Amino acid sequence: MKIGIEIHVQLNTKSKVFCSCTTQSSEEPNTNVCEICGGFPGSKPVLNKETLQQGIKVALALNSKIASETFFSRKSYFYPDMTKNFQITQYETPFSINGKLDNIRIKRIHLEEDPGALIHKGSTCLIDYNRAGIPLIEIVTEPDFKSPNEVRLFLRKLITILEYLEVYTRKSEATMKADANISTTGEKVEIKNITGLKEIERALNYEATKQKETPAKKQETLGWNSDKGITYLMRTKETEDDYGYIYDPDLVKIEIPKELVSKLKSQIPELSLDKSSRFKKQYKLNKEDAEVLASEQKLAEIFEKVAEKIDPDLAAKWLIRDLLKIINYNKTTINEIKLEVKHLIELLGLFQQGKITDKTVKDLLIELIKEPFSPKEYIKKHNLEIISDSGNLEKLCKEAIKEQPKAVKDYKEGNEKSIYFLTGQVMRKSKGTANPKEVEKILKKLIR
Amino acid sequence: MILQHYLKEVKKGDVSIKKTVKAILREAKTLNKKHHCFNIISEDLALSQAEKQEKEPKGRLAGLPISIKDCICVKDVESRAGSEILKDYVPPFNATVVKKLVDEGAIIIGKTSQDEFGFGSFSTNTDNIPKNPLDTERSCGGSSGGSACFTQLTKHPHASISESTGGSIANPASFCGISGLTPTYGLVSRYGLIDYANSLDKIGIMSKTTEELSPIFDVIKGHDKKDSTSLDISSNSNNEVKKIAIIKEAFEIDPKIKDIILSNLEDYDVISLPLTKKYAIPTYYLIAMAEASTNLAKYCGLRYGSTLPLKGSFNQFFSEVRSKYFTKEAKRRIILGTFARMAGFRDAYYLKAMKTRTLIINEYKKAFKKYDVLISPTMPILSPKFSEIKKLSPLENYQMDTLTTGPNIAGLPHLSVPTNSIGKLPVGTLLISNHLEEDKLLNFGRKIEEK
Repeated sequence: MKIGIEIHVQLNTKSKVFCSCTTQSSEEPNTNVCEICGGFPGSKPVLNKETLQQGIKVALALNSKIASETFFSRKSYFYPDMTKNFQITQYETPFSINGKLDNIRIKRIHLEEDPGALIHKGSTCLIDYNRAGIPLIEIVTEPDFKSPNEVRLFLRKLITILEYLEVYTRKSEATMKADANISTTGEKVEIKNITGLKEIERALNYEATKQKETPAKKQETLGWNSDKGITYLMRTKETEDDYGYIYDPDLVKIEIPKELVSKLKSQIPELSLDKSSRFKKQYKLNKEDAEVLASEQKLAEIFEKVAEKIDPDLAAKWLIRDLLKIINYNKTTINEIKLEVKHLIELLGLFQQGKITDKTVKDLLIELIKEPFSPKEYIKKHNLEIISDSGNLEKLCKEAIKEQPKAVKDYKEGNEKSIYFLTGQVMRKSKGTANPKEVEKILKKLIR
Repeated sequence: MILQHYLKEVKKGDVSIKKTVKAILREAKTLNKKHHCFNIISEDLALSQAEKQEKEPKGRLAGLPISIKDCICVKDVESRAGSEILKDYVPPFNATVVKKLVDEGAIIIGKTSQDEFGFGSFSTNTDNIPKNPLDTERSCGGSSGGSACFTQLTKHPHASISESTGGSIANPASFCGISGLTPTYGLVSRYGLIDYANSLDKIGIMSKTTEELSPIFDVIKGHDKKDSTSLDISSNSNNEVKKIAIIKEAFEIDPKIKDIILSNLEDYDVISLPLTKKYAIPTYYLIAMAEASTNLAKYCGLRYGSTLPLKGSFNQFFSEVRSKYFTKEAKRRIILGTFARMAGFRDAYYLKAMKTRTLIINEYKKAFKKYDVLISPTMPILSPKFSEIKKLSPLENYQMDTLTTGPNIAGLPHLSVPTNSIGKLPVGTLLISNHLEEDKLLNFGRKIEEK
């Protein structure tokens, strides 16, 4: 099986690609539209240079060659979501070619404008041009994927890179779209315009299974029905699509000087792949933990700051095992939580010193993602420090022995488990601040 | 009254702007009945601008009436580029040239008639056909026919802003006996110009005499960040014309026209531009039509302009609107232009034309190493009768641009200067200079006029 994909990603520049309209989404349709993105007669596009610079950064991160000059073209086709009935895109001269991510070759990356959106309501169709002119980059791979799973892993990695570069914000599923080519032993089929990462995976899985069983006899263009979870035939391909490309005569040749490329290169942060191998080495983490920590920039940043003060192994375990779980449970993201690194350091510091229990750390983490406060003060105020004073602990143990004669009797008769019950009683009395191992030791001593 | 004289009088307070504007509006309305030079006369706008300027004249063109070719957007005034498909389209913004003129105190009196989207050499491809000021049986030339017509006829201070893609300023200037300047491509912002062929479109000026072009030229030229193709350099101020040459191939025409032009010249060399002669017309029409066919795609009845009741699929709806409202010539150019850029043909036509254009530019560039100004007749014929135009095939029609397409595809500035007449029909001399050397043209043009 061979799969190749074309991925369209919305860049997160402040303004649109050829005018100064905002890219922020708006509830009101057709409000972020001007004479230029609205395609009014007489208006002319002017390239927003920021879009090209973001594009170049992506290309560099994907190890691609940057063109020394680039042009825009007009891709002509009639469709109601297009304000000019041509799309400004790049054809002969994309700004970047010949890249690679892992073992997947990237044929080209180019810049283009997003069309508007069609909204179907019953038998009518409404058009919202707010999206018209949002900058897109199209990343075209060679047919190097051997399974839908490889595509999934690639896209995950790609998104991580885009987020690291701060050029992409996953506002909604619509911010990433793809066309995919699949061929098994038969002819090549193309699935057009699949919206969202999850749908891309689903559509490819569906079509891959179908193609394995019954390989296509003709070249086909398919659509993806996400409600039913099936592909459907749009047309059989007899000839290539003819878009009648010409150079866009309103836009000039853009030179990309070497100095700009090196400047942009220097702005690229350490990407996750490099970061995880560094984590492995520098902090002696296992491969899996290093990868998880490097998968999100914010997480990696928190980890590195904490690891300056706290045992990295301990920090990694708390972040991966607990913090991420709490974040998931609360349906939020690492970028949205209120947790401050200094408080996390304080908290884990107390734990490392053996002053608070596992449970206290967890309880406080749950609160700390909602609002910042000093764990030290909180622990003091609520008497959550581990009772290490053995005189006091002995007092609590004596109380428990007195209150639970049956359990004491059971233990004496050889029921080992009864000691845990008694320990639990003491823990409750200490509000969880006692060290359970210590308690057990004292109890055993007292009962004997 | 020469334009500069009027501007001085306005400064001194010796003339009433309001009276002048009212008079020219009255004149425009009267002339329009016979000559159809305006698609719309913007009386309300003109009067309100006049009112403002009368109170406090401000700017280099304070109080000067200006007409604007229909394809250049004027805010709140119907701008339809001579087309029916844009009927009732009122732009929500001013073209940069219009803004510059208004900022300098000019008064916008109306939109002049033209071939639809500039598609033509006689201003006959439209619903409002201008009639030649000297003989209403004859054409004003095109596509800026209305501008040239009114410029010739008016008795008031006035200039017209027009546009040339393949000769649309020089041609009507010649047929109507006025002066028409097409500046270097990119020197005047195209922002707000309803596109014909973007890589060729140039906004320029028409006035009765060459001298009157200068103050307008000074105002409209200059960089505009809203037009990516706008040049960020100023034109050359050296206006000294030392050496001139006539273009050999351009004089292989009616000897009467040839003699009139040559009788006004002295000390000229003869230069041959064979590539231009051979390739200018096909190169021009291929590029212009390929670009035009994409520009016209947006007119589909969905967002502005003429429309029909929504019915059938969007494809059927678009086709019906476009079939109904485009002229035959527009449809011809859409079909030819689309063909020239289709996969399988674009290498042979569109891309080859792009390469040939470079050859033509190089041929001119070589000539300008030696000469300051190249000279040819503007048009190979005198203004034809409408009855004669009807008999022309499309190809014969396109051949009318044989002398003007060269400088237009090379983006070179050129000036058509009125040069005597044959009977009552005027002859124009075409002066071409190197890029950004408009001042040489204006200087030399004045000298020819004086003769």
